[in-house]
Amino acid sequence: MLLQVLINGIIAGSVYSLVASGFSLIYSTNKFVHFAHGAVIAFSSYILFLLFSILGINFWISSLLTITFTSFLGYFINYFIYKPLRKKKASASILLIASLALLIIIESLIIIFFGADVKTLNLIKVSEGIQIMGAIITPLQIIIIFVSVILFIFLMYFMKSTKLGKAMRAVADNKDVAEIVGISSENIYSWSFIIGSGIAGIGAILIALEQNIEPVMGTSLMIKGFTASVIGGIGSVPGAVLGSYIIGLVENIGIMFLPSGYKDAIAFVILFIFLFFKPNGILGVKKGLQK
Amino acid sequence: MIDAYFIHLLILICIYVILAISLQLSLGFTGLLNLAHVAFFAIGAYATALLALSGYPFWLCILFAGVLAALFGYVLSIPTNKLKGDYLALATLGFSFVIYAIVLNWISLTNGPMGLPGIPRPTFLGINFSNNNNFFMLSIFVTVIIYFVIYSITKSPLGKVMEAIRDDELAARSLGKNTKKIKSISMATSAFFAGIAGSLFAYYITFIDPTSFSFSNLIPILSIVIIGGLASLPGTVFATIIIILLPEPLRFIGFPSSVIGPARQLIYAMLLLIILYYKPKGFYGKVNLE
Repeated sequence: MLLQVLINGIIAGSVYSLVASGFSLIYSTNKFVHFAHGAVIAFSSYILFLLFSILGINFWISSLLTITFTSFLGYFINYFIYKPLRKKKASASILLIASLALLIIIESLIIIFFGADVKTLNLIKVSEGIQIMGAIITPLQIIIIFVSVILFIFLMYFMKSTKLGKAMRAVADNKDVAEIVGISSENIYSWSFIIGSGIAGIGAILIALEQNIEPVMGTSLMIKGFTASVIGGIGSVPGAVLGSYIIGLVENIGIMFLPSGYKDAIAFVILFIFLFFKPNGILGVKKGLQK
Repeated sequence: MIDAYFIHLLILICIYVILAISLQLSLGFTGLLNLAHVAFFAIGAYATALLALSGYPFWLCILFAGVLAALFGYVLSIPTNKLKGDYLALATLGFSFVIYAIVLNWISLTNGPMGLPGIPRPTFLGINFSNNNNFFMLSIFVTVIIYFVIYSITKSPLGKVMEAIRDDELAARSLGKNTKKIKSISMATSAFFAGIAGSLFAYYITFIDPTSFSFSNLIPILSIVIIGGLASLPGTVFATIIIILLPEPLRFIGFPSSVIGPARQLIYAMLLLIILYYKPKGFYGKVNLE
């Protein structure tokens, strides 16, 4: 029983980490809360649904198209919405409200075009779970955990060792100094949106396979992704991943005692505790948090 | 028929004016990026519904709704007082999600997604407000009172300190003002009036369920405040009228009702983006959103 809770927690954590790491990457360079990130994930799940279930395109090609599409979506959101606002010297609060508006826009478009009902991909038949010491885990769930770990390692390597990754960290650390040494911050902003949204696209595919697709899933995922980033230390990708696993575990332990509808609320209670006692998060730097 | 519908819109405008000018108090005047307003609205509505259904009189229900919301506002302000801009926004947004989850899941109290039907229309001083014309009189009366209360708060020394906190908290503190306390007062007062708006809403609609208090209901309120302009009360009233009436033509074009809901949200959100881009201070606002 306890092992099952633990495994469910790890699966949930892996799903959240796919949301949180992209969000955190975008936050680290852009320094504002891109709340529409969750809606981007919901939207790309619907794109996968459109390509695979309605148009009947091969799953792997659909997936590839979905990831590409999501990256472009992230790029265009930055290019058409955030960049013009930044040019007008919009503060982080204005960008946050803009991202809330964007979240609602994407959600409403999904409802208008696809309807408010729940969709399923029906790619994988409900398969027999594998028993590990009395706990059940499905092959897809193993894949989710596997992918999230691989992505994390890849992202770490990318940030530490590639030129673009280093430039991103430079902008995240100090935008003005980075610009002095010739790094275009606007360029880096675009790249973090492209890469962050690409990760979101991969997340969207796995989430669409594991759960049902519905228009409001973006908000719920964003709550988890955001909370995970804050408790792990906002702007730190390893922190976001760590935070995701903590949220996943605490949630699954929590719903042993509470009705499962309280899942979102549990995440926020953890968020409050962290904001109150350790607002920098576990691995975070304290930059720009308090007045 | 048109008349009755018009009265319905006027009552909605009253409720949204109360919501928006009370949000102005915390967001516009004190500069707190408070996204918990829809939660205070929910607390007021549910408090009223539960009390009115148990037969308590109107004045007690509406006051209790306000006080309970204010209490929650005050409690919320304690851990969030030290947070700046976008962190405060997310903590308060989180609070609305928590309240929403509670309203949806505490079925023995709130009846969950089924909602609470049959809230009796109020009777006060011998007047029965069960017809909409009378109820409209009541709402406009309450709205005018609240407008002047908030107006006098903003003109009072307390209001000036709130504005000082918005413009430069450090400077306000160095002048010996207890900024944390005043931020808490601002949040609690703002929540108090949101609770009263919730109370009127519950009395008016006579049926409440969680969908009226989900996070997307924040967008129209936020749009009103931004469009009207931060720290501008007349601008807020003007913006409320626009925001409430704007999506109405959709109803007459003949879209199916499943499209009207999201289309309305879409219009609000687009309008919000456009205003943020072209007129970030809103129409009558004097201050920037930091």
